[in-house]
Amino acid sequence: MKRLTFLGAITASILLAASLAACGSSGTGSTATGGILTISNSTGGTWTCQFNPFNPNVNILPFGPIYEPLAFVNTLQSGKASPWLATSWAWSNGNRTLTLTIRNGVHWTDGKPMTAADVVYTFGLLKAHAALDLNSVWTVLTSVTQQGSNQVVINFNTSGLPYFYYVAGQTPIVPQHIWSTVKNPVTYNDANPIGTGAYTIKACTPENITYTANKHYWMPGEPKVSEVLYPAFTSNTSANTELATGQAQWGNQFIPDIAKFYMGKTPGNNYWFPPTLNNDLFINNKDPLLSNVAVRRALAFAINRAQVSQIGENGYQPPANQTGIVNPTFGTWYDASAAAKYGYTYNPAKAEQILTAAGFHKGPNGIFVTKSGTPLNFTVINIGDFSDFVASLQVIQANLKAAGIGVTVQNLSQNAFDAAIFNGHYQLAYYYESGGPGPYYEFRQWLLSANSAPIGQSASSNYERYSSPATDALLNSYATATTPAAQHQIMDQLQQVMLSQVPVIPVTESVDWYEYNTHLFSGWPTAANPYAQPGPAITPDFGYVLLHLKPAG
Amino acid sequence: MRFALRRLAFFVVTLWACLTLNFMLPRMMPGSPITAMMAKYHGRVTPQALQAIENAFGVDTHASLVTQYVRYLGDMATGNFGISLTVTGEPVSQVIKSAIPWTLGLVGVTTVLAFVLGTLIGILGAWRRGGWLDGILPPVFVITSAIPFFWIAMMLILLFSSQFHLFPPAGAYADTLTPSLSWAFVSSVVRYAFLPACAILITSIGGWILTMRNTMVTVLAEDYIRMARAKGLSGPRIMFWYAARNAILPNLSGFAMSLGFVVSGAILVEYVFSYPGVGYMLLQAVQNEDYALMQALFLLITVAVLVAILLADIATALLDPRTRAAR
Amino acid sequence: MAATGLSTGPGQAGPGQLPGMAGPAGAAPGAWAGSAALGRLWRAVRSNRKAAVGAAILAVFCVLAAVPGLIAHDNPEADAYPRSLGPSAQHLLGTTAYGQDIFAQAVWGARETLIIALVSGVISTVLSAVMGIAAAYLGGLWDGGLNLITDILLVIPTFPLLIVLVAYLPNGGLVPLIAVLVITGYSYGARQLRAQALSMRDRDFLEAARVRGERRLYIVFVEIIPALTSLIVATFLGTAVYNVLAAAGLQFIGFGDPNSLSWGTMLYWAENNAALQTGQYLWAIVPGACIALLGAAFALLNYAFDEIGNPALRPVRKYRTRHDA
Repeated sequence: MKRLTFLGAITASILLAASLAACGSSGTGSTATGGILTISNSTGGTWTCQFNPFNPNVNILPFGPIYEPLAFVNTLQSGKASPWLATSWAWSNGNRTLTLTIRNGVHWTDGKPMTAADVVYTFGLLKAHAALDLNSVWTVLTSVTQQGSNQVVINFNTSGLPYFYYVAGQTPIVPQHIWSTVKNPVTYNDANPIGTGAYTIKACTPENITYTANKHYWMPGEPKVSEVLYPAFTSNTSANTELATGQAQWGNQFIPDIAKFYMGKTPGNNYWFPPTLNNDLFINNKDPLLSNVAVRRALAFAINRAQVSQIGENGYQPPANQTGIVNPTFGTWYDASAAAKYGYTYNPAKAEQILTAAGFHKGPNGIFVTKSGTPLNFTVINIGDFSDFVASLQVIQANLKAAGIGVTVQNLSQNAFDAAIFNGHYQLAYYYESGGPGPYYEFRQWLLSANSAPIGQSASSNYERYSSPATDALLNSYATATTPAAQHQIMDQLQQVMLSQVPVIPVTESVDWYEYNTHLFSGWPTAANPYAQPGPAITPDFGYVLLHLKPAG
Repeated sequence: MRFALRRLAFFVVTLWACLTLNFMLPRMMPGSPITAMMAKYHGRVTPQALQAIENAFGVDTHASLVTQYVRYLGDMATGNFGISLTVTGEPVSQVIKSAIPWTLGLVGVTTVLAFVLGTLIGILGAWRRGGWLDGILPPVFVITSAIPFFWIAMMLILLFSSQFHLFPPAGAYADTLTPSLSWAFVSSVVRYAFLPACAILITSIGGWILTMRNTMVTVLAEDYIRMARAKGLSGPRIMFWYAARNAILPNLSGFAMSLGFVVSGAILVEYVFSYPGVGYMLLQAVQNEDYALMQALFLLITVAVLVAILLADIATALLDPRTRAAR
Repeated sequence: MAATGLSTGPGQAGPGQLPGMAGPAGAAPGAWAGSAALGRLWRAVRSNRKAAVGAAILAVFCVLAAVPGLIAHDNPEADAYPRSLGPSAQHLLGTTAYGQDIFAQAVWGARETLIIALVSGVISTVLSAVMGIAAAYLGGLWDGGLNLITDILLVIPTFPLLIVLVAYLPNGGLVPLIAVLVITGYSYGARQLRAQALSMRDRDFLEAARVRGERRLYIVFVEIIPALTSLIVATFLGTAVYNVLAAAGLQFIGFGDPNSLSWGTMLYWAENNAALQTGQYLWAIVPGACIALLGAAFALLNYAFDEIGNPALRPVRKYRTRHDA
């Protein structure tokens, strides 16, 4: 009897709770003016309610909507820059000096005015604390000083053009009057952030962050979305379900089988996955067999990129090409004629032909062997937690086997994988570089020998240990090229390097995950209007997009 | 008294073994916190900045093993668990503090519930040997206790969340609410906890039913039960005061063990339901190779088990004089 | 004598551990002494309905594991067929999002799951027996030392320890997985066997053997072990269930080898592709049901052995007590 009563009580309370929750959710997000926007981005953990914009754990939360940079640099438009806290800027001294004019009439959310002194202070803070300088801007800066009442002069020790993105676009400006009283800015919580941005933190719990509109924001009439909820999702499935049901309207999520899972479940559900990077098969150029360019070219012909894209990446991450240019995002840089000349389409017969011409012959088990009898058997390392990479490599393994190249896949823990790839203790590896606003950044990470390191020492990028003085010279000359024509000419030559040398094989293109609901909100970035990287986990684009959104209807 | 001291000594030794294991394991593997961070912030933080962060947070992998070990034992004793570098970036004690209530609430309550219900059903089943309850329940629960926790959880989500939208599939409470003692919040917590609680109940109740039933059956064959019957005592009185009271001792110590496992059993359920508890945090820590967090959570779970067992030992000793005499 | 006293309580030894495994202290293995023990076990299995059902399920899975190619003609590998098909004549249970035949995957998956269950079950049972009986029979310092190790492993929570250990292993292969399952899973059985062996130490038939002047090894292998057969079998079955569940759990949360063919790995990929949310129900239901069936087979056998070992637990059919309340 006892048991029955108890269950009865539970059931009653649950039914009541269910009806309450139903009332609650119907009121969410559907209000026409002011609307509440809910973000769905699974980070795997709960929130710490810290908003230090220099803490890489949490900077995706404040940088953009709360703390703002000097300029907005749009990755999707090859680095096109727009004013933010700076109204204008100019280069001089052979692109080694950048003079920015700081916007007047901007206030911190505690009412104090934001000035050029705050900008100078912020850069000084980064210089004093290397742990805050996440992009290591002080490796290229020599000084940051105030000029007049509203100008800041930034001096570089080299051409500063490629670093504008980091200095003006990726550095959040913080208030001197607050941060100068902070004892240790590296470990500072910043639980109540004071910024210049369109939002402030209204409430924060480990499970949810509530952003509320800054009523005194410097941009008149903005923001139009009055409240933004950012719940913590510990799993993809729950984050995806909230998007599908319309409880969340802005997603940064990989959704399996998105047509069935998400599209059409709620009116106005849409998605767009713009690519910005490549997922690459890294080749250790110091490996005795793989240092042979014929073997690398054969690998490039033997991989069915379209199939890897379909099976491994659900078709969301499009097949890449050997030039290394991400299409269509950076399509204006793509050297179609060079790509056609080398013709790296899937062609296992061609791969076999290249290997035969290079003096390899097929062994008894169908795997090519060298003249001395060493078979072309390679080990490819991968991070076992990345299930899309695991699935991609299953396809690549089958592809290469069909072309007479043996591959063993080792799915490692992240730590073991890093130890191997950073120090060059691998043959093949499946990974990606970090890229930037334009194809140049990824090429620089792939190819610049200064980014690499000898085997046994940690490389910051260029894991394949490619090294060519001519390519280094090309990469460095790009930094001083000011005209689009000159930049294109250099990028064309770099594509030639990728095609002829095959130092690394781009297999699929890595995309920004982005789901958005047009029924409740308008003003979203789209393929037709790619005004910012669209995912809410990308900073400071996150805040930039919020300034463009408004409740629909 | 001697018994208590001996038990205490055993627990101290066990604790030390756990601490040492905790210390050795991370140091036997490749990589370091710094490479784990490099991976996590791939493309967002330069290696130079990472080095600076490492120094700032005092991740120290250069001191000798002995020095590290001594410092580690001292830190653990003083509750200085360090900073969770790759999961959240805040002090480990903070992370744990936010996770414990959810696990205690969800798994603690369901375990007590499973124990009480299971024991009652076990008593009734044994009392009415061959009755309908006894005929159906044991075989059914033998099977349910062999079903994976996480699969039951998935099936519950499929049925009650994906198909009928009765309960939310994940989370701890509706994200429109802020924690407070309001009816809206509390009811939301109950609603969100319902499916995970069912999953734990379904898979764990069988154990209590079977052990209670089996011990009861053995006890019911004892002479003093026949004696009680001969004296003409009422059925319920014999059932609860004579048989169940004696049969419950083994189940009670099983309960203490199980309370310790509350935390560990929660891992898979918390994972499937994205429930922000200790188990989920442990998984996060392991996946992100966050030494500090992982060590602290593993230690916490072990201490919880040890304390529970110690309490059960003391309770058993108090309730059953034979335990004190034996050994 | 080392501290012991975890009591003889059954209860749950870990998430999913079957309580029946221990059984109440009333089991009387002495009755099984002698070489006829196994023969009697077999007869008992045949006469007990629960045991028969369990044995039948187990036999079916053994056949699947032995000759999967004969039963499933399809290729379990990725991209062999169109993706995400529903059930049809060609693909009885449909295909996965990677174009694998689900039926073929389930059939082939039996092998690894069964290997894990049997191999880790056997090894940890042997270890339990050795540690338990040695501790009980050697006594003194040996008993103290071995028992301390067992007790420590017994109170450290198993599943977190498993996760922590597996996370440190170089690669999610089968051998390290089994090794870790054995290390974390032997202690419960060892404690049971030790208690039982201790209780036998002063029994007459052992006393007689000692008086006859038999060697220690003879006494252990010819006198003690046969007398413990029932408990050893129960230990094996209980460990097997627990290991099947633990291994599946580890694989499900991604600590297994993602390229292996097993039910736990199938569930990992199904969850990764949100099979339940995208209508590919069979992908998630089938492997879970297989694990549950295999677990149930072991559990039924185990339960039956409890009844066989402890006659008091046997089902009462016609008889009803007069004291029905």
